[in-house]
Amino acid sequence: MFNEINKSIDAAISSGAQYADARILISKSRDISSKDGELEDFSNSENMGLGIRALVGSSWGFYATYDLSDESLREAGKKAYLIAKASSKVPGKDFPLADVPIVKDEYVTPHEQNPFKVSTTDQIDLIVSSTHEMKKIGSSRAFGRLNFWDTEKWFASSQGHEIYQNIIESGGGISSLSIGDGETQIRSYPQSFGEYRTGGWEVIQSFKFLDHVDRISEESKRLLTSPQCPEGTRDLILEGSQLALQIHESVGHAIELDRILGWEAAYAGTSHLELSKLNEHKYGSPLMNIVADATLPGALATFKYDDEGTPAQRVDIVKEGIWTGVLTGRDSAAIAGVNPGGMVRADGYGRLPMVRMTNVGLLPGDSSLDEIISSTDDGVYMETNRSWSIDDLRLNFQFGCEVGWLVKNGKITDMVKNPTYTGITPNFWGSMDMLAGEDEWVFWGTPNCGKGQPSQIGHTGHPASPARFKNVRIGVRG
Amino acid sequence: MKIWDNLIDDIGKLIPTGVECEIKMINSTESLTRFANSHIHQNVEEELTDIFLTFHADGKTTNLNLNITSMGSIEDIIKKALSEIGNNPKDSTWPGLTSKENSFNGYKDISPDDPDIRAQKVKEFIEQGQTFNGAGYCSSNVSNVFVWNTNGLNSSDTATSAFLDGIFRSETSAGSSHIGNKILSDINAQKVGKEAFSITKESQNPEDIDPGVYEVILGPDAVSTILVFLSVYGFNAKSKVDGTSPIEINVEQFDEKINLEDDPHKEGALNFKIDASGAPKKKIEIITNGIPKNYFHTRRTSSELNQSNTFHEMFGWGDSFGGLGTNLYLKPGDISKEEMISNVKKGIYINEFWYCRVLDPITQVVTGLNRNGSYLIENGKVTKPVGRLRFTQSFMSSLGQGNVLSVGSDNRFADSEFGEGILNVPMLHLKEFNFTGGVSG
Repeated sequence: MFNEINKSIDAAISSGAQYADARILISKSRDISSKDGELEDFSNSENMGLGIRALVGSSWGFYATYDLSDESLREAGKKAYLIAKASSKVPGKDFPLADVPIVKDEYVTPHEQNPFKVSTTDQIDLIVSSTHEMKKIGSSRAFGRLNFWDTEKWFASSQGHEIYQNIIESGGGISSLSIGDGETQIRSYPQSFGEYRTGGWEVIQSFKFLDHVDRISEESKRLLTSPQCPEGTRDLILEGSQLALQIHESVGHAIELDRILGWEAAYAGTSHLELSKLNEHKYGSPLMNIVADATLPGALATFKYDDEGTPAQRVDIVKEGIWTGVLTGRDSAAIAGVNPGGMVRADGYGRLPMVRMTNVGLLPGDSSLDEIISSTDDGVYMETNRSWSIDDLRLNFQFGCEVGWLVKNGKITDMVKNPTYTGITPNFWGSMDMLAGEDEWVFWGTPNCGKGQPSQIGHTGHPASPARFKNVRIGVRG
Repeated sequence: MKIWDNLIDDIGKLIPTGVECEIKMINSTESLTRFANSHIHQNVEEELTDIFLTFHADGKTTNLNLNITSMGSIEDIIKKALSEIGNNPKDSTWPGLTSKENSFNGYKDISPDDPDIRAQKVKEFIEQGQTFNGAGYCSSNVSNVFVWNTNGLNSSDTATSAFLDGIFRSETSAGSSHIGNKILSDINAQKVGKEAFSITKESQNPEDIDPGVYEVILGPDAVSTILVFLSVYGFNAKSKVDGTSPIEINVEQFDEKINLEDDPHKEGALNFKIDASGAPKKKIEIITNGIPKNYFHTRRTSSELNQSNTFHEMFGWGDSFGGLGTNLYLKPGDISKEEMISNVKKGIYINEFWYCRVLDPITQVVTGLNRNGSYLIENGKVTKPVGRLRFTQSFMSSLGQGNVLSVGSDNRFADSEFGEGILNVPMLHLKEFNFTGGVSG
């Protein structure tokens, strides 16, 4: 396959590109969805193609094709060059690429059972029986979903990289929807939209969906008759998957160097962070230690090399509350004068690789959820995301959760519905005063992160354990 | 198109008797030139040919999605699909295939645009920004779709579109504008640039105002966001089947000034004239004088709700999504932007919404923010730019009876949270809109 890729790269370089790299991908996916004990959708997908990018002056030119004939591969290289060259009508400053090791290597995601080799009957039975059980118990609607990806990538560059990787990802989830008088309530497991990891069928088996159908079905029904989450300022305790999304939105996107440099300004936005304040800016309380770590076994954004051939690595992002690191690519790292962190990925052969979160997670503390609750006099414990919104500087956010629990004098008392909370990023993280430990640290995965134009969907990881935040505004309603 | 003709010739010969089969193909070239910090930094083009196969046999259904390169032997694909189908449970809501009589031939052989033309449009936009920092994209697309089935249907269509979407940024402000057209060379980049420049300039040094309930004037992109949410979560018949839609047909739910139709045959419409079942789309009323008239149906939802199909199946989306109108027009009123502003006692002009998310689908309470141009209007005049505000507001109520004070006279294609080119809308003047937070949270 590398011979094929190099035909394209050679064509781009001989046309005049200063650098070129390309990927051939064979991407398989399987989507299984079920509703109310019926199979709703069963789809297998497979596609194959090449994407090549060429650097000319201050712009990347990128061309992707499904046609892998020799002639087409060479044409793709030339087109990538010509597209980049067209950009010279509106030029910027030329930029170099940060140096990375030039390697030839292979990597396969560690897994026990490739999900594409497991009986589809077993997969369908599991998800259909889960929704069947919830419907039987009384859910108005019972939903279930399984997704699997098996991606083979061959990456080569004009500098001599030749890397083969086979990334296997599995995930899914179940939800119980209860419909009341002019309202709906939902409970999901393991988290809203499902939980996703690198690995095989064993990931799904570890979720034990059927052990949770009774609870989520009962909770979604009970929410209909529960009181509204109170409005006001209180202590907020977040369950791990909600904290994972909080990290994703208010830290993960804010530290993307392409945003900080303004490259995403018109769409995803920029960032409240200024590079001149790296290693000085107070992001949160001393309990806040964030790392971006693409080497965590089993986490969703774990690989050996990114889509620029840069090795996966662990980078400190926030240390004891101080901002220390960014998410980079070879281009942005060179411009900003920082090390390239191996954080550039594309969502298929047809898309230009861009800065993407790896496993951006909050390192565990030394407490526990039980201790946090028992030491809280007046607060709300919120579980499982239901809505999320944040401004384009990643400062002003508002989240809604599926369920809230009042905490009074160290004990969980009543269930409350429609819990929401809102805040400003540094104030919020500055108010974190208790953090659960390693026993409750979970590698939560987000399989639906949108970024870029044309749009790309990224798979990111967010290890987190439950935490408490002081004096947060809760209960915002329309 | 040769690839398509060969594909259906080969598959048609190999489908066993008694098996229903539907094949869809999307063949497109999508090109996008992206700029930031006032220069082009990313410039991409993707050529794709994706095939979607559905087989139904013995009451069971399976779907297989491939691109032309990964197909391999067609005989093997059919064998694999028919062997897998046996593992599936019965498909109790299989709606059947579209009949041969619905065949439609709209394919046109159109070449993609040269990247130099997009670069020129970007240059013309950026020149309008003077010293401000420009960012955005110029895209052009040629898309061909094909549908064949064992009933003998063979349909095709071609759509072209081009968009220029950009912002300028000053130290304290940003302003955006957007335009869409079927033809790239017809995009007026200077006009878009001038509008974005003007908003950026007028939005400098914004002041914070208290959250609360305000009268608002919404620019086309903000209006488009409201309508696309109502379309996806309300008029999409799948949400009705799932019990989460707030929309009731023939019930007065919106202000009588709201008239929305889906018309793929309108001059300048950007999307396909057939849906993914291969059937030709018709002009249909969605909201007439504030009264919902139709959901967006697929074959499956029309069967499940026992209502007429409106042919809104989407290419590339499965049954779990449902249907969506993609040539939506909100009927304009007769009032200019200036007149609209002059009618506001105390309110806010919002150019664009950002990051809107639904808190509860059945109430359509949504939270989000403003961006790229917002002003306070007092006693009929714009008095000052305003900063960031968070709203938490039911989108149903925002267009509810008595809340729409006027509808603007000028329509344009607008961007939204679910993509561009599907909504063509004017500005709206709304009586009340609930802002629940400001800069400080």
